[in-house]
Amino acid sequence: MPRRRASTAAETSMATPWLDGRVDEPTLLVRRHLRSGQRVHYQGNVVVLGDVNPGAEIVATGDIVVMGVLRGLAHAGAAGDAARVVAAFRLEATQLRIANHIARAPEGDRPPQVAEVAQVREGHVVLDSLTQLYDDR
Amino acid sequence: MGEAIVITSGKGGVGKTTTTANLGAALANMGHRVVLVDADIGLRNLDVVMGLENRIVYDLVDVVEGFAKLKPALIKDKRFDNLFLLPAAQTRDKNAVSPEQMRQLVSDLKQEFDWVIIDCPAGIEQGFRNAVAGADRAVVVATPEVSSVRDADRIVGLLEAQEVPKPLLLVNRLRPAMVKRGEMMDIDDIIEILAIELLGVVPEDEGIVMSSNRGEPAVLSDRSKAGDAYKNIARRLAGEAVPVLAVAEDGLFTRLRRLMGWSG
Repeated sequence: MPRRRASTAAETSMATPWLDGRVDEPTLLVRRHLRSGQRVHYQGNVVVLGDVNPGAEIVATGDIVVMGVLRGLAHAGAAGDAARVVAAFRLEATQLRIANHIARAPEGDRPPQVAEVAQVREGHVVLDSLTQLYDDR
Repeated sequence: MGEAIVITSGKGGVGKTTTTANLGAALANMGHRVVLVDADIGLRNLDVVMGLENRIVYDLVDVVEGFAKLKPALIKDKRFDNLFLLPAAQTRDKNAVSPEQMRQLVSDLKQEFDWVIIDCPAGIEQGFRNAVAGADRAVVVATPEVSSVRDADRIVGLLEAQEVPKPLLLVNRLRPAMVKRGEMMDIDDIIEILAIELLGVVPEDEGIVMSSNRGEPAVLSDRSKAGDAYKNIARRLAGEAVPVLAVAEDGLFTRLRRLMGWSG
């Protein structure tokens, strides 16, 4: 019986044009909490299966996804791509960077208890509920 | 063969030395053979808190440099025949010892004692690396303050890198009244960030200042809240199931148990 073969990135790209050509971008999976003083710098996307604590730092040329609480610093699109996003189950970062845009969390606000995504719109870093990511694109 | 536990925190002044002295005295009181190692070379304090300052002849650096043998360098406690102290050198600095030498020293001590409790210096440099080198487990001390928790988090990350996994959390100087008024971080807030197992909670206790100055660990007193907490923590370290002291009322313990089950 022939075994199922995983398709190559090129094949996937051809068969799935709706993936807008980013299928073969390298992605780093971090399976732990990132703690104060720990840094991840990566050419590509970063996915964290855990929390990113205050004082920890992620810098990626692609997107950043945190499957936990993001309390540290995240810089997506670090090579200058302002179309990149930072998404987290709980986005509680004190500072967010996307390409050359920098945003601070509003002071005193309690962050909502929903998954959120940060993206650049009209020159500003904006936070939306994750469910709204593709609604108005 | 005993177990080596390092008491560490990152931040200074949160109660590492007090914790070392009290856990040591409590474990000795339970009949275990205990040695306390002051790894804060150049800033030695543990001998003062234990009230043994005037008995020091040799120190840790003398031993690792081969200038003194291990046995004569150990100071026997005034109160317990099964409690000993290996003091730090006061006239040297942290670079006088290497992690390899500490690993050997601690391994030698583990042959003779049930517990080797290492008092780690503040900071994350050479002194920290020396102190954790020979440890099997770590107890991370944090006070309910943002800066202390931040440093504790850094330490937990560094402990993973130094291959001292699964550190235990000791929350020190908790003021239940302030927590109740919402003016101080509570245990849940701290555990949510650090995501490590809770070993125990020690309430703020003015008596600790006096007992440290007198060189009498608080666990020796019958009327010390902090001393009682340390006694419970020592029993928990030794493997007994002792509920976390009810310093912060209403249902805390159930919530803690849930968190511990989830993180451990």
